Amino acid sequence: MTQTTPVNDHPEPIQLSAFIDGELSPSELQAIQRHLTECHPCALQVLSAAQLKAVTARASQRFLPPPEVLKRLASQLVPQETTKPARAWSFGHWAWSAIAAVLAIAVSSIVWWQMRQANNLTAELLDQHLAVLSSGASPEIISTDRHTVKPWFQGKLPFSFNLPETLPPDTTLRGGDLTFLRGQPAALLLFTIHRHEVSVILTQRSGNPAITGMPVNSSGFSIKEASTRNLRIFAVSDIDPTELGSLAAALQAVQSTQ
Amino acid sequence: MPRRTNSSEFEQLALPLLSSLSSHAFWLSRNDTEAEDLVQETLSKALRAFDSFQAGTNFKAWIFRILRNTFLTSRTAIANARTVFLEDDPGLSDITDAGPNPEEHILRLENQAAVNDALDRLHPQLREILLLCDVEELKYKDIAIVLDVPIGTVMSRIFRARRGLHQELQQHFGESL
Repeated sequence: MTQTTPVNDHPEPIQLSAFIDGELSPSELQAIQRHLTECHPCALQVLSAAQLKAVTARASQRFLPPPEVLKRLASQLVPQETTKPARAWSFGHWAWSAIAAVLAIAVSSIVWWQMRQANNLTAELLDQHLAVLSSGASPEIISTDRHTVKPWFQGKLPFSFNLPETLPPDTTLRGGDLTFLRGQPAALLLFTIHRHEVSVILTQRSGNPAITGMPVNSSGFSIKEASTRNLRIFAVSDIDPTELGSLAAALQAVQSTQ
Repeated sequence: MPRRTNSSEFEQLALPLLSSLSSHAFWLSRNDTEAEDLVQETLSKALRAFDSFQAGTNFKAWIFRILRNTFLTSRTAIANARTVFLEDDPGLSDITDAGPNPEEHILRLENQAAVNDALDRLHPQLREILLLCDVEELKYKDIAIVLDVPIGTVMSRIFRARRGLHQELQQHFGESL
């Protein structure tokens, strides 16, 4: 915050930490962004720190309070100004108000929970895709042949999936790897569309209940979601969302046809 | 009547934060019952003091500060007060390096349980500031209000927390890094 970022030298680690928190001044931000485009080690540090930040946020979910606790706490917020003896009709009015308040709280809590879950899922999907882009690490199975990639997952996942024989135009399967999404084992499939990298994550629907309100665009990347009876499919890329949607749709369609 | 308006406004501001307050209270106290009591007491104190809240300032930072002060006067906090915390070095001389090699920076973070364990092992004050930043998404200036420390201390403490967490995870993953 008060320190300057040397343009021709590595930024202090503390500055990189502030960078991922969006706490640098515009000039510091510009200097570090410029440095990161040229410095692979610092870019790796930033990627790692960003991953750590995301995973720390996810760790907090284990202490989410149960609904009954939230209900008890919310009831404390409802103004309790009625000190006069309640008449029959006023009790009814109070009771209906209380029910309405509880319902409103329940709905607010659900909406809030959904938004939080959606944001966390989006962050996790972007993490996975950025890790693929940034690490340069090869996936465990490298092949453009679906008859090679699909069998590789057998016995490694608690579910199976199909790969389409025909992919959308200029779309190529590159390989696959095992990953985790929201703590559940998942298949990571790598494609390219034109020259754009695409990450597709398939996971069991039972372990990942549907979440509404997930943003379709985040940080310049598009996210497309498709579901089948047993699977949830997420596709992430910086490609045109329509083309990304075509790939997700092709994967969705093939699950029920084969 | 103004009291009713305040109460209603307080409800609107506090209701969306109940989950965050409860979660943070649990991280502080590590006990379900105590966490709920802490939040109840916090809400009660905050409502009574709501007149002192300045409109336009960050309500979340304001009420989290009340939560923290409430915790600090609790039995658990007093019992834990013996834990020594090495306060931030203003010169930051020890944080410029000692980190891993760049290639070692990429952690295998798919193991959420390992991350949870590493967070548990982190010093409570470092864990607290990391949660305020990464979970509650408070800005440094608001964290400074909650913890009542200078903003430079916030910056260095967050960095130390992340470095500590990274080191804990490195120990856990060992050669698999």
